[in-house]
Amino acid sequence: MTSSRAPSPTIRFEDHLLHPILTGARPDGARSRWWVYPLTVLIAGAIYGAAMGSWSAGTSERMLLIPYAAAKVPLVVLATTLICLPGYFVLSTVVGLRADFRAAIAAIAAGQAAVTLALSSLAPVVRFVYFSGIGHGQALLLSVAMFTLATCVGYAVMLRRYRPLLAKSRRHRVMLAAWIGMYIFVGIQMGWMLRPFVGTPGMPVTFVRQEPLSNAYVAVGRIVVQSLKELGWGEKDATDRPSRPYR
Amino acid sequence: MVINWFKQLDELLRGERVRGDLLLKGKIDLDLKAFVPLSIILGGVYGFFMGLYALLAWRAGSSMQLLATTVKLPALFLLTLGVTFPSLYVFNALVGCRMTFGATIRVLVGAIVVNLAVAASLGPILGFFSLSTTSYTFIVLLNVALLGIGGIVSLGFLLRALRALARSRAYSEAADDAERAMHSQYPQQQHSQAPPMPPPIPSPGAPPINAGFARYGEQEDPARAAERMRQAMATAAARRAEQQVARREGVANFILTIWVVIYMLVGTQMGWILRPFIGNPSSEFTWFRPRDGSFFTAVWGAMHHFFFGN
Repeated sequence: MTSSRAPSPTIRFEDHLLHPILTGARPDGARSRWWVYPLTVLIAGAIYGAAMGSWSAGTSERMLLIPYAAAKVPLVVLATTLICLPGYFVLSTVVGLRADFRAAIAAIAAGQAAVTLALSSLAPVVRFVYFSGIGHGQALLLSVAMFTLATCVGYAVMLRRYRPLLAKSRRHRVMLAAWIGMYIFVGIQMGWMLRPFVGTPGMPVTFVRQEPLSNAYVAVGRIVVQSLKELGWGEKDATDRPSRPYR
Repeated sequence: MVINWFKQLDELLRGERVRGDLLLKGKIDLDLKAFVPLSIILGGVYGFFMGLYALLAWRAGSSMQLLATTVKLPALFLLTLGVTFPSLYVFNALVGCRMTFGATIRVLVGAIVVNLAVAASLGPILGFFSLSTTSYTFIVLLNVALLGIGGIVSLGFLLRALRALARSRAYSEAADDAERAMHSQYPQQQHSQAPPMPPPIPSPGAPPINAGFARYGEQEDPARAAERMRQAMATAAARRAEQQVARREGVANFILTIWVVIYMLVGTQMGWILRPFIGNPSSEFTWFRPRDGSFFTAVWGAMHHFFFGN
């Protein structure tokens, strides 16, 4: 006797989302639709963004950070992809991998969907830790930890989808490295541009910071140089520095 | 027409326009009527993204800087080619690569188009940073890096094209040599004066005859001996072809090195003469700056300023 009941939401989730992300096809063998990946990024990224922006959401003004961060997390992922895509396309063509471009992009998109899916699954953890009452600095560190973890998962998924291509040609390895390099380079600046995500206490809640434009790399470079100067590096008079005891 | 140009560009990037079989016929399938305008368009696209940095400052002359950069970037590449082409062609001829005048210019324009296509495809990254960064030195270094990537890819294209040309020429020469050798070795057989040899008939119980050599003391079948000689000659011809290929590829590498050195020296100085491209926010807009210093001292200064701040 066959059951006429509709499949459970868990089965649907596995069949229509997890399986296509992991393999590029549904369990019945049908090819997964291309829009599954950006849609996953939009929804799952928004879920994590909402959780991320909910730190210290006590006042109505601070509550605004929840929709702002929910919009900005998918925006960072998708806008960075769009900016890097033309370069990746032309470089793939030049190195003779145009025939595999669709498969490569599908693998990359699956990796991004996996990152946001992993992030969204961590949203309850973030919310729980926020609930336990952590400070701003700890909230930022928590976000870094969550993103690192999710990125590792996404990278594993992308590599799994990329593996047949890597077995086909060594040039895919170069192109994968090129994509990762471009994506990280642009993604860091995109995240910097679209901050705040957690919200610094005492600062007004805005979609993007109301301050002059700046560059993440320049800012980090200045912090490093400043730290080195504080440690005594780069001083012209070496005699000012404490010398090692002679042995 | 423009769509057809971009189709040709796509074929160039895929490497279909510099295939070995086409090069063997002395044909470099690059239509200059399409590829010169394409280099102007692609250079203009990259120049536009480069000029966006000036718009951020939004001072007098920002839009003029954007226009100037859009015009000057393709001019930089094409003027450099114009200045260096005579020396590139003459060196090429003196070194012994038998590329014609037309073939040389086509290959070089193709390399410029590849360079600018890669740079233009990285343009959105540059545009994003140009619109979100106030640091002038960062933008200068980013531009050097992106144009450097385009340059490296185009060098790869040039090397592939020159090597394919060298290989096809070498195989063609080796095939000619082999044919000449066969003619000189077997003039009678080639001209069918001698009757064709019948194939040996193996006797039913006899052991199989060694394919290459007759047994000691036995007369070798003349047809088999001729076949063996032909095989030996083919092996020798293949060895000669390999040697030719290695020699020709060495020539191709040497030509590329000469081209790169000449083009890079002239190109960087041309860039220095045509500056400003990005537009220093602390300076007023001008089409050209006074001629002093050089590109290398400027890049060194920018890196020093970026990392050490003075």
